[in-house]
Amino acid sequence: MEQSTGKIAADNTNPAMAAPAKLKLCNISKWFGSEGEGVHALDDCSVEVQKGEFIVVVGPSGCGKSTLMTVGAGLENPTRGEVLVDGKPAGPPGPTRSVVFQKFALFPSETVEQNIKFGLQMTGVSTAEQETRLAEQLRIMGLEQFRKSYPSELSGGMQQRVAIARALVMQPEILLMDEPFGALDAQTRTILQEEIQRLHREKHYTVLFITHSVEEAVYLGDSVVVMTKRPGRIKRVINLPRDVVWKTGDIELAAEHSEFIEFRREIWGLVREEIVSI
Amino acid sequence: MLEERLERMGIVNDRGKAAAYGIISLTILLILWVCATSLFQWIEPRVLPSPTRVIGQFAWILTEPFSGLRLHGHILSSLERWGWGVLTAAFIGIPVGVFFAWNPWFKTFLNPVFELIHFIPPFAYIPLAVLWFGASTATQAMVVFVAAFPAIVINSQLGVAQVQKIYIDAARVFGANQYRTLRRVVLPAAAPSIYTGLRIAISNGWMALVGAELVVGKVGLGFMIAQGQENASVATIFVGVITIGCLGVLIDTLVQRSERYVLPWRRVAG
Repeated sequence: MEQSTGKIAADNTNPAMAAPAKLKLCNISKWFGSEGEGVHALDDCSVEVQKGEFIVVVGPSGCGKSTLMTVGAGLENPTRGEVLVDGKPAGPPGPTRSVVFQKFALFPSETVEQNIKFGLQMTGVSTAEQETRLAEQLRIMGLEQFRKSYPSELSGGMQQRVAIARALVMQPEILLMDEPFGALDAQTRTILQEEIQRLHREKHYTVLFITHSVEEAVYLGDSVVVMTKRPGRIKRVINLPRDVVWKTGDIELAAEHSEFIEFRREIWGLVREEIVSI
Repeated sequence: MLEERLERMGIVNDRGKAAAYGIISLTILLILWVCATSLFQWIEPRVLPSPTRVIGQFAWILTEPFSGLRLHGHILSSLERWGWGVLTAAFIGIPVGVFFAWNPWFKTFLNPVFELIHFIPPFAYIPLAVLWFGASTATQAMVVFVAAFPAIVINSQLGVAQVQKIYIDAARVFGANQYRTLRRVVLPAAAPSIYTGLRIAISNGWMALVGAELVVGKVGLGFMIAQGQENASVATIFVGVITIGCLGVLIDTLVQRSERYVLPWRRVAG
């Protein structure tokens, strides 16, 4: 992995650095169709997410960043390379790795509470525990009054809250988010970005977050991984300062901070190179 | 226009409008019928009986047995055969359709057989059914089954095949195995299409039933019509035909309405 130079990598004292990464994508290559003939989506991508880290992957659209997520979740097998959780092969999808999908993927025939409890029921969590965890998530995501609603009765923002609650209720070791706010309007997106930021600060989730928004990446990420256009490779990894004031407040205020602007310019420059070079 | 004004005032909605038009068109038909028969006698009674004559016959068949049974007796035996046929078709057809879609191997293996079968008209099975079951309930039920089965299989298969992959991915991520994914995610998502299949099957089955009863059997609405022809009683035929039509509409409406309760999440989705 190529590290950016000239930037101070904060939080180097994290003892988890010594242990194997929570989630490690090692030299992932992915071909759709046969290798050498089909579509080459990913080429030798390696990403490490340490425990408690929030890693954001940005890249031009169609660069394979969503594929990286599905491979990370175990939904697709890589053509080459492997996915490790705590240094061991990750295997099929499972409750240690929860996913928030771009298009919510809530089950339309189930109410909000049934959707949130789905994973708990599948993994044999006791009924009492299910109710406790459900109540907690409904409260955290502000969904109490919608618990009996069907997804189709909710706005996009509310649906994505349900999807986030459904992922968090599993108390996953790793949270994979695939452009979770891409389908939302700008105002709702801002609110949810701030909530995710707050949740991460409070609960220290381990997150791999995919987006095409540079602002979102700078605001949310502990590190930002920039990908090239297809076939997606890792272009640069940029470590962001972690315990700074502008990350704890509103994204609007953060966006006015000189440090934020500096990082945004740098990352946008990298992404733009990929978009314009055809 | 009056209609626009009513609409603006919120008195007439789309469903109300459809019902109003339905009543108007049926009334016009009735008026034409009265004119053509009782009022001006444009058409001879032995070709087209008057509404009063048909109503009279209706009342008569309700009270006096016609060919062994009163009207509701014929209705019940028709409904019984139809019910058995449709239920059997649903019990076998839905799983077959689901497995067609869920298991590509199953489809490849059985599809040629199915393609062949579904081009044979239901009535072609009547002689076979008679030879197998004689003149029993099972004979007509088999014809209903044959008429209902393909629609159920095809629509169940379509419903399952159209379930978006992202739902199946989500189910996998949250730990569901194949069986639970099928039961909790795929089947509910396919349910509207399965329901459409049932509705088509129900009306196909109903039509096939009457056809089968015309040919074989000693009770039922189709048999009643055939007897009307034997006795040169056009009014009896009309009673039978109108009853068949009305029951068909009634059954379809009930099934349509039940969808709201069986698939409650569809109420909002529209």
